[in-house]
Amino acid sequence: MPDKFLEVRDIHKAFGTGDSRQEVLRGTDFSVAKGEFCVLLGPSGSGKSTLLNIIGGIDGADSGYISIDGEKLKDMNEKALTNYRRKHLGYVFQLYNLIPNLNVKENIEVGAYLSDNPLDIDDLLKTLGLYEHRHKLPNQLSGGQQQRTSIGRAIIKNPNILLCDEPTGALDYNTSKEILGLIEDVNKRYGNTIIMVTHNEAISHMADHTIKLRDGKVRKDIINENKISAKEIDW
Amino acid sequence: MRSPLTRRIPREIGSEWKKYFALFAIMTIVIGFVSGMFVANDSMETAALNAYDKYNIEDGHFNLKEEASDKLIEAIEKEDITVYKQFYKEVSEGKNTVRVFVIRDKVNKPCIMEGELPSKDNEIAIDRMHAANIGVTVNDEIEVDGKMMRITGLFALPDYSTLFEDNTDVMFNAMTFDIGLVTEDAFEKLGEDTVYQYAFTYKDAPADTEVQKELSDDLVERLYILAATGGDEDNPDLEHLNEVTGYVPEYVNQAIHFAPEDMGSDKAMGEVLLIILIAVIAFIFAITESNTIINEASVIGTLRASGYTKAEMLRHYIAVPIIVTLHAAIVGNVLGYTVFKEVVVMMYYNSYSLPTYETLWNIDAFVKTTVYPSILVILINFIVIRSKLSFSPLKFLRRDLSRSKRKKAIRLPKWRFLNRFRIRVLMQNATGYFTLALGIFFVMILLGFAVGLPSTLANYQKHAPDYMIADYQYILKSLQDSDGNDITTKEPSAEKYSSRGLLTVDGVHIGEEVTAYGYIEDSDYFSIDGTVDKDEVWVSSPFADKFGLEEGQTITLKEKYTSDEYVFTIAGIYDQEGIVAIFMPNDNFNKVFDYDEGHYTGFLSDAEITDIDEDYILSVVTVEDILKMVRQLDHSMGGYMDYFAVGCLILAMLLILLLTKIIIEKNTVSISMLKVLGYTSGEINSIFIRLTTVMVVIFSVIGAWLSTFVLMQMWRAVMADLSGWFEFYIAPKDYLKMIMIVIVAYIVVLFFDIRRIKRIPMTEALKSVE
Repeated sequence: MPDKFLEVRDIHKAFGTGDSRQEVLRGTDFSVAKGEFCVLLGPSGSGKSTLLNIIGGIDGADSGYISIDGEKLKDMNEKALTNYRRKHLGYVFQLYNLIPNLNVKENIEVGAYLSDNPLDIDDLLKTLGLYEHRHKLPNQLSGGQQQRTSIGRAIIKNPNILLCDEPTGALDYNTSKEILGLIEDVNKRYGNTIIMVTHNEAISHMADHTIKLRDGKVRKDIINENKISAKEIDW
Repeated sequence: MRSPLTRRIPREIGSEWKKYFALFAIMTIVIGFVSGMFVANDSMETAALNAYDKYNIEDGHFNLKEEASDKLIEAIEKEDITVYKQFYKEVSEGKNTVRVFVIRDKVNKPCIMEGELPSKDNEIAIDRMHAANIGVTVNDEIEVDGKMMRITGLFALPDYSTLFEDNTDVMFNAMTFDIGLVTEDAFEKLGEDTVYQYAFTYKDAPADTEVQKELSDDLVERLYILAATGGDEDNPDLEHLNEVTGYVPEYVNQAIHFAPEDMGSDKAMGEVLLIILIAVIAFIFAITESNTIINEASVIGTLRASGYTKAEMLRHYIAVPIIVTLHAAIVGNVLGYTVFKEVVVMMYYNSYSLPTYETLWNIDAFVKTTVYPSILVILINFIVIRSKLSFSPLKFLRRDLSRSKRKKAIRLPKWRFLNRFRIRVLMQNATGYFTLALGIFFVMILLGFAVGLPSTLANYQKHAPDYMIADYQYILKSLQDSDGNDITTKEPSAEKYSSRGLLTVDGVHIGEEVTAYGYIEDSDYFSIDGTVDKDEVWVSSPFADKFGLEEGQTITLKEKYTSDEYVFTIAGIYDQEGIVAIFMPNDNFNKVFDYDEGHYTGFLSDAEITDIDEDYILSVVTVEDILKMVRQLDHSMGGYMDYFAVGCLILAMLLILLLTKIIIEKNTVSISMLKVLGYTSGEINSIFIRLTTVMVVIFSVIGAWLSTFVLMQMWRAVMADLSGWFEFYIAPKDYLKMIMIVIVAYIVVLFFDIRRIKRIPMTEALKSVE
């Protein structure tokens, strides 16, 4: 393993109490290198989205810790966590979560506002293939275009880590591949560390690193020596 | 970099412009009206205050039985006052009465509002407001003392800014009472007797009312002595013995003080109404923003997860309420200084005879109508929005914005499904329905006043004869005729009685006139049984009610013109509506007030007494006298009440429209889902509309009932400042009217609500499924 930019150490997380208590993460343990494209793979209920939320600092672990570039999230108070997310993280969700009454460009500016040194918005719009659509409102866009906008919003501030929670979960096959290609491009062009949650095993073939989760535990931690491009993957 | 979220704000306002415009309109009108009231009141109060110097307002006046001799005036002026003649004659003015003075140029000088002062014998200048009330103006002719006189000018006299015929009257009377100024020659030609009134000013102006009161108490005692001795205590001037027949110091003169004090209390009431309404609107804003936050939960979650702080989100969601409030405050203030100020001035000019005024920039109005509402809106929205945004980003992403730790929904009885559905909707929208209840309650207070005041006046008018101890109440000038024979009457219903005006010295209204009555044994007009000691009295029920008196308590009353005080123990409450009075046997009355045994003041009678010469009668009180007050109140305020009720209807419509819109918007997804599932419009309306209808009816009934308590307290505060007492009365039909007005408002809103529900697309439900 080259370096340990992101460390996930012995994370435990349970929901509910008494009879209804359910342990979602049971000592999850792995690390991710800087600039790596890492896929968290697993079936429904394996704890991958919960883990992503803990990495993103929007949920807390019952025990264990997450460390990013040597800094432990559990040592941060709410303000420091907000600042951490502001400076270092970008989020992409399955359902885009765009602001309905801001157009494409403005939705991306929502991300740019958080950064002291954002990327050039017009360049990014062109990269995302949204330049022609920049004045449209979210409800005038297709699902793929909306997800590209949400990716734009996440990466405009050039975050160290881009967290993607099932970014293609609501998209058709072709659009999904297009979005995956875009994420691949972003990773290459800007060198962000990408952690993507998916239940689609095919996607893991384009990643540098695959963590297979089941029942809250890492079942396999694979460094993909022969990764393929987004264009080549199929399911 | 400016937050890109700010670009949403104009779009948010634009997309919901009807809602925000309605809120803006309500706030603008209320702020405008209250600002106008503040500006008008303060400008006019300042004018009234300046009038003391500008028009040299008296420090008081006294009436003498005869014209004072030079010696007497000289003696009185030694009491450090300057005395001015202010003689008048009360003559007929058509069917009305006009109190005519000679043109004044030293004290209580007139403010000419239109035209000029008279210069010929057949000319007169009269009060501006009375002229407006009877529909005459400059150059018209009126009949004064049976002769036609041309009106040369309309004025306001500073000592008659409110047209009180007598300082002890319950209410002023600008309908049938007028004041006029004529030349000295014209005055001489008037037929009636001259009333020898003298105004006075202190040579050294008293520092405050307290000092003024002390000086006045000393002065009135000296006046009595000096008048009774013709100006020389040691060596009475037997040829010029005189008598003080009236004394009114400036600080208790209702004709001078009533208008400014009324404007002051109007301001206080306007301020309270403004605060209540702004609070209701602030809650509407808060609920609107709260719903927006719920609808945008996933976006907020994303932004918070991306690093947006709570403070940034708070600033964003609080921006619209602040922007709308500030714009309403600015426009409201502009309208306040222009349109609404004129409306308020018109209202006051319709009631009071006030001098001209200059519009003054009013920092108090600005603070109270701009800063206070803004702070209130910011504070309420800050608390609600901050609390709503306190959830973690994850909870926002999961759209889980409930604080309830409850794992399961509250169990409902086994009612029909639709009823249970309605209860769930009610529980989910508890805050919205609470604000709806608050809004309706507020409207009901205003409506209660709008429909209750005419009813109160009508009720008073209807029962006025019952408030009279007798239909005719005669006060004799003396008990014997010129031949020394006792004055008697053959009228079978006539009964001797005594009365005397005293003043309160403490309680809710200091200086309120209390009539002390002396009744004969086995009286037909007083049903008071049992004996009472010399220092015991019965008090009338309105007196007890207004001052909170109970049996066994002691009360202190003082003479009107001297500092003599009397302490009485209350033997009981006598149920005599409409008058503030105490009652005692006539023998006790004579002992207390130091009269000879067998003394009385006059006769009570249920029929007119025709066999006593008018020359021996000082005054007769009939039911007409107490109805004057009702007519004046009706003229001053009654006419506005219908407009006020229409205003309340519009306000009710806007408030209900806004609140039901919020409730429907909050349930958009549910409604859409019901449509997807195949529910008919009728079924959907029966869930959401019927629930709101039931709530509006319930809130209206409770609101109407509750508002009575608030109105009673407000009325009590109003009456505490006035002499006399009568109950605020809302008839059962008025409650019905209040409820019907709100329901009519709701029926109009219903049309929009049904249309709004109909327009909710089924795609709303599909869009929101995660």
